[in-house]
Amino acid sequence: MKMEDMPLSGPDNTKLEALVNDIYSELVEDACLGLCFEVHRAVKQGYFFLDETDQESMKEFEIVDQPGVDIFGQVYNQWKNKECECPNCKRLIAASRFAPHLEKCLGMGRNSSRIANRRLASNNNMSKSESDQEDNDDLNDNDWSYGAEKRGEHRKSQTSPRRSKTLKHKNEFSPFQYNYNAGINYEMLGPDEVQSFLTTVSSFHGRKKSFQSQRCPQHTDEQRMAVRVFLLGPSAPVLPEADSVAVPESFDIPDGQALMSRLQWEDSPEISPSDSASSKASEEKSGSPFPIKRRTDKEPVSVSLTGTNHSDSRSLSTKKKKPKLTAPSISSIYDDLN
Amino acid sequence: MNKESRLKATINQRLTELGERERLKELLRAKLTECGWKDQMKAHCKEVIREKGLEHVTVEDLVVEITPKGRALVPDSVKKELLQRIRAFLAQHAA
Repeated sequence: MKMEDMPLSGPDNTKLEALVNDIYSELVEDACLGLCFEVHRAVKQGYFFLDETDQESMKEFEIVDQPGVDIFGQVYNQWKNKECECPNCKRLIAASRFAPHLEKCLGMGRNSSRIANRRLASNNNMSKSESDQEDNDDLNDNDWSYGAEKRGEHRKSQTSPRRSKTLKHKNEFSPFQYNYNAGINYEMLGPDEVQSFLTTVSSFHGRKKSFQSQRCPQHTDEQRMAVRVFLLGPSAPVLPEADSVAVPESFDIPDGQALMSRLQWEDSPEISPSDSASSKASEEKSGSPFPIKRRTDKEPVSVSLTGTNHSDSRSLSTKKKKPKLTAPSISSIYDDLN
Repeated sequence: MNKESRLKATINQRLTELGERERLKELLRAKLTECGWKDQMKAHCKEVIREKGLEHVTVEDLVVEITPKGRALVPDSVKKELLQRIRAFLAQHAA
C-alpha cells in the first residue's frame, strides 16, 4: 500500500516527530507493564523476596564498591609485591615468579629437563671447537640426537646471556642433568627426525626388525609344538622359522572358531548347544584335565600365538589351579587327541 | 486529523508486519536491563509492596506506581537510540 508522501517541512515535521515519540512511549509503557506483571507474579507466587535474608547477613555480604578492593572487600593484589626466599639458592624472588623459579631451581618441573638438555647441547657445541675428546665421544654415543647439533646452534643465538654461564660448568654434570642426556633427546629432534623415528618404532611392532626372534624366552620349541598339537589337533602346521619376518595380522588359524571355543574354559557363560549335549555325557571322563600337558610342563602354559588375545593365555594358566572342568568342549579335544 | 490517524495506523501496522516492533521491544528491554533500570524499578516495587502489604497488592497498584516513575527513569542514551531507530524506520518505510 503506497503511503502518501510526507514532506519533511514545517508542521508536518513536528507531526512526524510526534509520531515517533508516540511510538517510543508505547514501547516504554510496554516495558513497564511487562515489569509489573513479572513482579506481581513473583509476589503472588512467593518468590519475590527470596534474595533477601536476615539483616545481619545482608550487611555482611553487601556489595563493596571501593577502589583497590573487589566486591567482597578483599584486596586482590595483596601478595603481588611480597618476596620469598628460595630455599635452594637463597635469593629473594617475587611471589608471582616463585613457583616457576622453584621449578627451574630444583630441576623438577616439566620444562627444567628440556632446558637442561638444551644447555648441555649448546655446551657440547661450544666445546666442539675446542676439540675436547671426551665430549665428542659423549655426543657420538648418542646415536639418536642427530637433531641436537642442529638445534643447539639455533638455540645458542636465542639464549639469554644467563645461559652462557653454563659453559663454566661444562665438565660438571650434575646427576639430574646427566640422566636426561643419556638417551634419545625427544625434544631435540626436528620434525623429519621425529617422523623417521616414529616409523622405525612402528616397524618394531609391525615387523620386529630389531628383535632377533619373536619367540618368548620362557618356553622351548618342544613346548610350543605340544601346545599347537593340543589346540589345533594332530594336523598342526609346523612352527614358522624364528628369523622370518612374520606379520602378526596375517596369522591364519586353521579353525578359528573351534579354537576360540576350546580356549574358553571355565569362564564361558555362553555354551553352544551342540557342545552342551556332549558335555553331560562325558563330564566324568576328565580325570586329571591335561593328561599330556600337565605332567611335562612345570611352568604355566602361555600360548605364544601372536594373534590371540591375552584372556586366552590367562584362562589357560588358571586351568592349573582349578582342575575341575566344566567346559563342555574338553570332550571334543580329547576325541581329537585320542 | 483523519490523515494523521490513518498515517499512524498504517505505520503501526507496518511496524508490526515487518517485525520491527518486536525487535524494538527486545532492544529496549535489553538496554534497560543493562543500564540497571530494571533493578531500580524492582527496588521501587519492593517499597510499594511493603507499603501496600504483600498479600493485597494488585497489578493495578503496581502499574499506577511504577509506570510514571519508569518512564522518567529511562536513561537519555537509551531514549535517544530508540528514537533514532524509529525515525530511521519511518524514513525507510513511510516517505
